[in-house]
Parts: sequence; C-alpha cells; structure tokens
Amino acid sequence: MSAPLHILVIDDEPQILRALRTILGEKKFRVSTASRGEEGLALAAAQPPDVVILDLGLPDISGLEVCARLREWSQVPILVLSARENETDKVAALDRGADDYLTKPFGIEELLARIRVALRHSAQSQSPKSTLITAGPLQIDLAAHTVRRGGAEVRLTATEFRLLAYLAANAGRVLTHQSILSHVWGAPQADQVEYLRVYMRQLRKKLEEDPGQPNYLLTEPGVGYRFMTDS
Amino acid sequence: MRAAWLTSPQRPVRWLLSLGICAAMTAALALLRQQLNAPTVAVLYFLPVALSAALWGLSAGVVASAAAFLAFNFFFITPYYSLLVHQLQDLLTLIVFLGVAIFVSQIVGRARASQAAAEAREQEAVQLYELSTALARLRQREAIAALVAARLQTVLGADAVEVGLRSETDNPEQTVRRPDEASAPVTPPHWVVPLLTARNDLGEVRVWRLRQPLEAGEQRLLYTFTSQAALALEHASLEQAEVRSKVLEESDRLKTALLSSVSHELRTPLASIQAAVSSLRTGTVDWAASARAELLAMVEEEVVHLNRLVGNLLDMSRIEAGALRPQRQWNILADIVQGPLTRLRRAAENHHIVVAVPDDLPLVPVDHVLLDQVFTNLISNSLKYAPAGSTIRVSAEQTGDQTLRVQVRNQGPPVPLEHLGHIFDKFYRVWAADRVTGTGLGLSICKGIVEAHGGRIWAENQPDGFALTFTLPLAWEGHPPPQLPPEAEA
Repeated sequence: MSAPLHILVIDDEPQILRALRTILGEKKFRVSTASRGEEGLALAAAQPPDVVILDLGLPDISGLEVCARLREWSQVPILVLSARENETDKVAALDRGADDYLTKPFGIEELLARIRVALRHSAQSQSPKSTLITAGPLQIDLAAHTVRRGGAEVRLTATEFRLLAYLAANAGRVLTHQSILSHVWGAPQADQVEYLRVYMRQLRKKLEEDPGQPNYLLTEPGVGYRFMTDS
Repeated sequence: MRAAWLTSPQRPVRWLLSLGICAAMTAALALLRQQLNAPTVAVLYFLPVALSAALWGLSAGVVASAAAFLAFNFFFITPYYSLLVHQLQDLLTLIVFLGVAIFVSQIVGRARASQAAAEAREQEAVQLYELSTALARLRQREAIAALVAARLQTVLGADAVEVGLRSETDNPEQTVRRPDEASAPVTPPHWVVPLLTARNDLGEVRVWRLRQPLEAGEQRLLYTFTSQAALALEHASLEQAEVRSKVLEESDRLKTALLSSVSHELRTPLASIQAAVSSLRTGTVDWAASARAELLAMVEEEVVHLNRLVGNLLDMSRIEAGALRPQRQWNILADIVQGPLTRLRRAAENHHIVVAVPDDLPLVPVDHVLLDQVFTNLISNSLKYAPAGSTIRVSAEQTGDQTLRVQVRNQGPPVPLEHLGHIFDKFYRVWAADRVTGTGLGLSICKGIVEAHGGRIWAENQPDGFALTFTLPLAWEGHPPPQLPPEAEA
C-alpha cells in the first residue's frame, strides 16, 4: 500500500479535533490539525493534504476566506463543516469552491462517505473521466447521450439530459442551485430556481421509482441537489 | 366674535351709531315738543344714552350723553334753537342730565365690558376643556404635538404653529407644523413657549402671527395650552416606559420558564448518555455484544434528541427575537414534503404515512428549509401521539385563488377542548411530560414559521382523529408567479 492519505482538519474546537484525529487515524489516514485559519493555510502549503475538512466558524479569519484562499492555488477537495442555522454560509462556501458540506453534529459514516466521494472526484479529475455512470437500475452514458432504466431507454429532452449529465458527472457531491443553473442554462437564468425545480420534477418522474421519495435525485433543502449512486 | 367689538378700529363707527340714535330720538321728540315738558324730555333722552353704552360700550355712552345734552339744550330748552339758557331751573336740569347720563353710561358700559370678559373666559374654558378631552385619548407624542399645533393655530388665528419635540433618544428634534402645507417659515417665530414639566424640558411651541401681536388673553391661552401639552407628553412617555417594563418583566418570566424547562430536558438525555457510556467504560463488567449495541443505540438516540432540542431552542429564540426572515423561493410543495418523510422513515416504521400532495399544485413562495421544519414537527407530533399501526395523512389543496391549505391528520386521541387553543403556546403540553418526550416547542415553532410566511395555523379534533392545518399564501409581493418553461419532449 502507498503512503497513507493526508487529511487536514481546520476547526477551533479541541474536542472535534480530538475525535476526528482518533477516528480518522483509526481508519488509516494521516491527520494533521489546525485550530486557526492562518495556521491551516500554512499547514496546507507546507504539506499538501489530500482532503481538507474546514469549519466555517474560525476565530481569526472566516472559513469562507480560508476556502477562497486555498482555491487560489490548490484543487484539494474541501469539506465544509457548519452549524445547522447557517444555510447561507454553506451555500457561500460551496459557491467559493468547497466541494461538499456536513452539518454539525454529523455521524462518522456520513463523514467517511463524503471523504470517499471527494477523493474519487479528485482522482477522476487527474485521469480520463468514465463516461458511463450507473446508479441502481439507471445507466447514464454521457458520451452517447443515452439513459437507460432497467435496460429500457428513457427519452429525455435536451435540457433534461444536460441537467442529469451535470448531476451524474458529480455523483455523490452536492451541487448548489447557482452552479446547476449556470452550468445547464447559462448565466441569464442563474437566479430562476423555479426552472430547476420543474425540470427536477420531470426527471424524477422519468427516472425514479417513486418520484415522491427519490433514491437518486436528492434535494438538499436550501442548498441544491445531489445525485446518489449508491443508496 | 364678540371680543372683536372691543378692539379700537371700530370705535368711530360705534360713535357714529350712538350719534345716529340720538338724532333719531331728537327727531321723535321734536314732533311731540308741544305735549312734553323739559323733565320728561330729559328722562326720555336717557334711552339712547343707556342703549349706546349697552351696545357699544362706555365711550359710545359718553358720546351719546354729550350729543343728547346738546340736542336737549338746543331743541327743548327755551330759547329754542340756541344753546343759551335763561332760567336757573333749566340750567340745573341740564347739568343734572349730563351728570346722570355719563354716570348711566359708565355703569352700563362696565357691566357690558365685564360680561364680554366673562364670555371670553368661558370661551377659553371651553377651548381648554376640548383640548384636554382630546389629549386624554392620545398616547403618541406625534399625535399630541399635531393636535396642540392644530388647535393653537385655529384658536389664535396664527399663520403657523410649530411644536418641536426633544428627547434623549432622537437627537434632531421632531417637529410638527400646522397648517401642514406651510413650509418652514423663514422669519423667526413671533412667540416661543417652552414645553416644561417638573422633570423635563420636552421641547417648545413656536407661533407665527404677523397680522397683530397676541393680546393678554391670547397669550394666557397659549401658555395654558402649552402646559397642557407638556403634561400630556409626559404622561405618554411615562405610559410607554411602563409598557416597556411590562414587556421586560414578561420576557424575564418566559426566560425563567425556559431555563427550568430546558435544564430538565437537557439533563434527562445527558443522564442516559452518562449512564450508558460509563457502563461501557467500566472494566469490571464484560458486556455481551447485544448489550453493548443496546447501550450505544441509546446514546445515539439521546444525542439526536439533544441536537433537536438545541435546534428547537435556537429556532424559538430567533422567532421570539423577530429575526426569522424566510428566504423565499418559488418551491414545489411536494418536493418539500419529501425531505421530512425520508428523514423520519425510521421513526415512522410503526405508522402508515399517506401523502396526498399533488405535484401539479401551483408553485408556492416559501423558505424550503423552514417549511421542511414545519412538516418535520407536524409529522413528528403525529408520530408521538397517534397509536402504532394508525395512519397519518399529509394533504394539500388549493383553496381560493391565492391560498394553499396543508393538513397533517392522524388517528390519535382527541385533544380536550380547553387545550386546543393553547397547543401552539411555548412549553404547553396536553399530555404529561413523562408520557411523551419533547420540548413543548415544536408546534409553537410551526406557528412562528407559518405566520412569518403570512399564513395561519390551527388545530381541530375530527371524527376519527386530530388534525393540524395551516395555510400558505400563493402570492409573493413584488414577485409575479414564474413563467414555467414548456415541458417539451426532445
């Protein structure tokens, strides 16, 4: 096995650092910790990590700023930790380049799953992307522009396909309303979330077994959507 | 106005009037000169004198006296048509006549003047009475200032009246001017009266009246009005201070209730967690795998419960502080219901949840996260109180043009009538706390959220259970309903 993957945790709460150091260490990660933003940035520059876990409420500079400054020179996946009541901070962090978020308090399984998704995406961005994505009975071929459900082809409109393709290419990650709208519709529609909602409803009708309780096209309230491949 | 007769410009007119009636009297007496002797004529001449004094005041009476004296002498004392007097008797009559006439004028004139003064004072009293009854109804500083300015402007016939209010909190003074349309007069005010009370300087009243200076009576009125206004202003500010202190007291009482409820609610899960964790850590007992799993599951459940409790407290404090500002977007209600259903799947294992939220309802302008919470709380509430195996029904329909009606109905026991109106109160529990866990905050949070969206929420017993219903307006001011993209197949 190669060298252990390096995770940098930036959080000002000693108990969280202690818990993550123990749990992630046990999972064979190399963990370094910082309790201030500047310290975290310095650590990230000295020993480039494979994943950064970043708390948004830091004592010196805001987590949002850490996020933006990291993105100036690094594509390392960033997982943001935030309190429940700060929806807008979460969205702001995602729009500034964070890859995903977790709401405190969180279960460790959830955290490990997010780390896995983040690592997979950063590995993919270095190698040619797979064009075939599978989720339960769904098979999405990004190159051939076809979608099959249980083997049968599902007919999608051009916009529906663009939307599904963007979500599926980022499987497992949360995508904000803004980012989906600007990728799928382009800038002019970027504030018309209702477009997105209507198209998501159509996609669910065509792809989900029970559109009212979706398994793959999940809503992240107040933030955006997430395409789940393993559920 | 009666008081106007007293003012000087009309004095010559009144003198002419008294001369006029003297002339009329002379003409009438001249016709009867053969039948009347001098004393009778003298007595009759008192008539115009008294009348002049009564109608037009002392000076008019004196003018009438002089005119009557001359006319009497000229026309009725021999030799006629001359002011000469031959007989001592006639001279005496004339002198006595003049003296008595002036005396009568004085008496009648004074009576008239004092009557006018009494009427003026009565008028003043009426105006003051009207002012104080009107002031008694007012609680707002601006309203008091506006009333006083308007009354003063009418009563004094002023060009403009301005009331400037000072207070510790608003630094530039607040001014109210009457009449409204008058822009700030460029000249300095003709009178300025401070609004003083025993404790405070509350501002001042400024009066502009170019036409004529204020008379003593008018000045008195101005001062009385001003002191009435000062009293009313002070009363209003004391009353506001009292209201504020009552609000503080009430919020203090709530905080105490909150603390006692919260410390109990926080300690219970903490106690279970501590018991479970310390049991697991003790080296003396060798726990069976199933027992370990049971203890750990308990810890996890209690942690989830604690987290929900803290979340509820935060929400409640935001609602209380008026800091709950929905981040509205056009949403599909069916999408919103999904989240809570997915999250509550495990808790709802023993119930059937039926969802009847058509996905072709109009888009609704709400905050997704907050509405998610409303559904979570309402469904959790039903899960807690409805018996296992029963059905919980979540439904929504459009009622009227601009309203969506959403209902969560369960087959739980009916809620006694006396509790129905209170179940949205904070910390209110219909059933004893030991039967059901919870914070007593869930439904009051729902109420806060629904009302922040301009909706209404209520509870009612139904033939087969219990229902919580709320409405959501479909209109969003300044945001026309979105034009949806056409649903075309490729």
